[in-house]
Amino acid sequence: MKFKKESIGYVIIFTFVICAVFVVLLAVANQVTLAQAKANQSYASHYTVLKALGLADPTTSKTAVESTYASQVKQLSDPAPGMAAYSSVIEGNPYIAVKITNPGLWGPITAILAADPKADRIRGFEILDQQETPGLGGRIGEPWFTDQFKGEKVSADGKIAVVQGSGKGDPNKDNSQVDAITGASRTSDFVQTLVDKALATVRQIGGSQ
Amino acid sequence: MTALRKVMKDGLWTNTPIFVQVLGICSTLAVTNNLRNTMIMVLGVTFATAMGSWTLSLLKDLIPRKVRMIVQVLVLSFYVIIIDILLRAYQPAISKQLGPYVGLIITNCILMGRAEAFAAANKPGLSFADGLANGLGYGWVLVCIAFIRELLGFGTIFGFKVMGGNFTPWTIMVMAPSAFFLVASALWVANVYKARAEAKKKAAPPNQGSAAPAAQK
Repeated sequence: MKFKKESIGYVIIFTFVICAVFVVLLAVANQVTLAQAKANQSYASHYTVLKALGLADPTTSKTAVESTYASQVKQLSDPAPGMAAYSSVIEGNPYIAVKITNPGLWGPITAILAADPKADRIRGFEILDQQETPGLGGRIGEPWFTDQFKGEKVSADGKIAVVQGSGKGDPNKDNSQVDAITGASRTSDFVQTLVDKALATVRQIGGSQ
Repeated sequence: MTALRKVMKDGLWTNTPIFVQVLGICSTLAVTNNLRNTMIMVLGVTFATAMGSWTLSLLKDLIPRKVRMIVQVLVLSFYVIIIDILLRAYQPAISKQLGPYVGLIITNCILMGRAEAFAAANKPGLSFADGLANGLGYGWVLVCIAFIRELLGFGTIFGFKVMGGNFTPWTIMVMAPSAFFLVASALWVANVYKARAEAKKKAAPPNQGSAAPAAQK
């Protein structure tokens, strides 16, 4: 038995079989849970759009999110490949939200930005997906960071600056500035690029309406 | 039963992954600046180490020596991906918080270390206990470090503010270098403590000289 176990034939067959077994198990697990994972993803997207528009918060129930989304949000045609756009009228004011994926430090950052059609003031900004450094750049998804964008005035040249500040969040809503994350300057730069691109897209959609 | 007890004690204290084997340091630096992330990482590592060790121990008589490391990586990554798949489907909120952590589990040397050092030569049940003990041994050290880092770095514990309003967060505690200082200090304290205990066991040695080799481990 011993010499047989180390024979080249056994080694090849064993390696092949064991890889096949585990890969099949993973494939099955993935397939079985695929529908559920997709549903979760679509829910996460709906919820984040609503949150950026200020129509949902963490206490909103799942059914409320889906019904509000169905009644309040209209999906527009995609402004560019890989992007999505939504419109909504809240208390008589029209808003446009865009879903945008742009490079981050380790992987793409997907975020949703909502603003008025002229992109004068940001309505809300939420991160949907990111792979930034845990504990540093990864904190862009935390409320203290994203809440800084809420109601922030966009500068005359249509931009927002993510700058070094106290690291606690910039409370001034009229200076077109938000605090960057301490120890994550690169990620902060990527967020700034992403937000500026999203604002330009909102303006473009708003202008064509 | 005594074998089980020894395995648990080894993993949790005498041979803990961080203090004695000095494994898993990479993740210690990466995740310990906040307690919640640390807990998630610890649970993932504990699950993957325990299940991986158990599976590899079951298969050990079938695995040819030449390819044993390939098989270890295969089995361990299998469990890591399974965690990811299951969380994505049934616990999307946790899955989102985990983000890149799940992938980081496989880079943890403790998994391979236990598979190679223990599961390759022991029975499945005992290997499972060994994986569990090592995961938890790794865990309690990480939680201690994360506690200090989160407290001083953010002034919070599990996200709740505990420091007063005029507390200035120590930015260094949020960044990776602070983990170096803390891990090293913790290692020092643990080894001094261990060396003392050992010295006492040897019925009052004339000096502390016998403690030196142990402290250098």
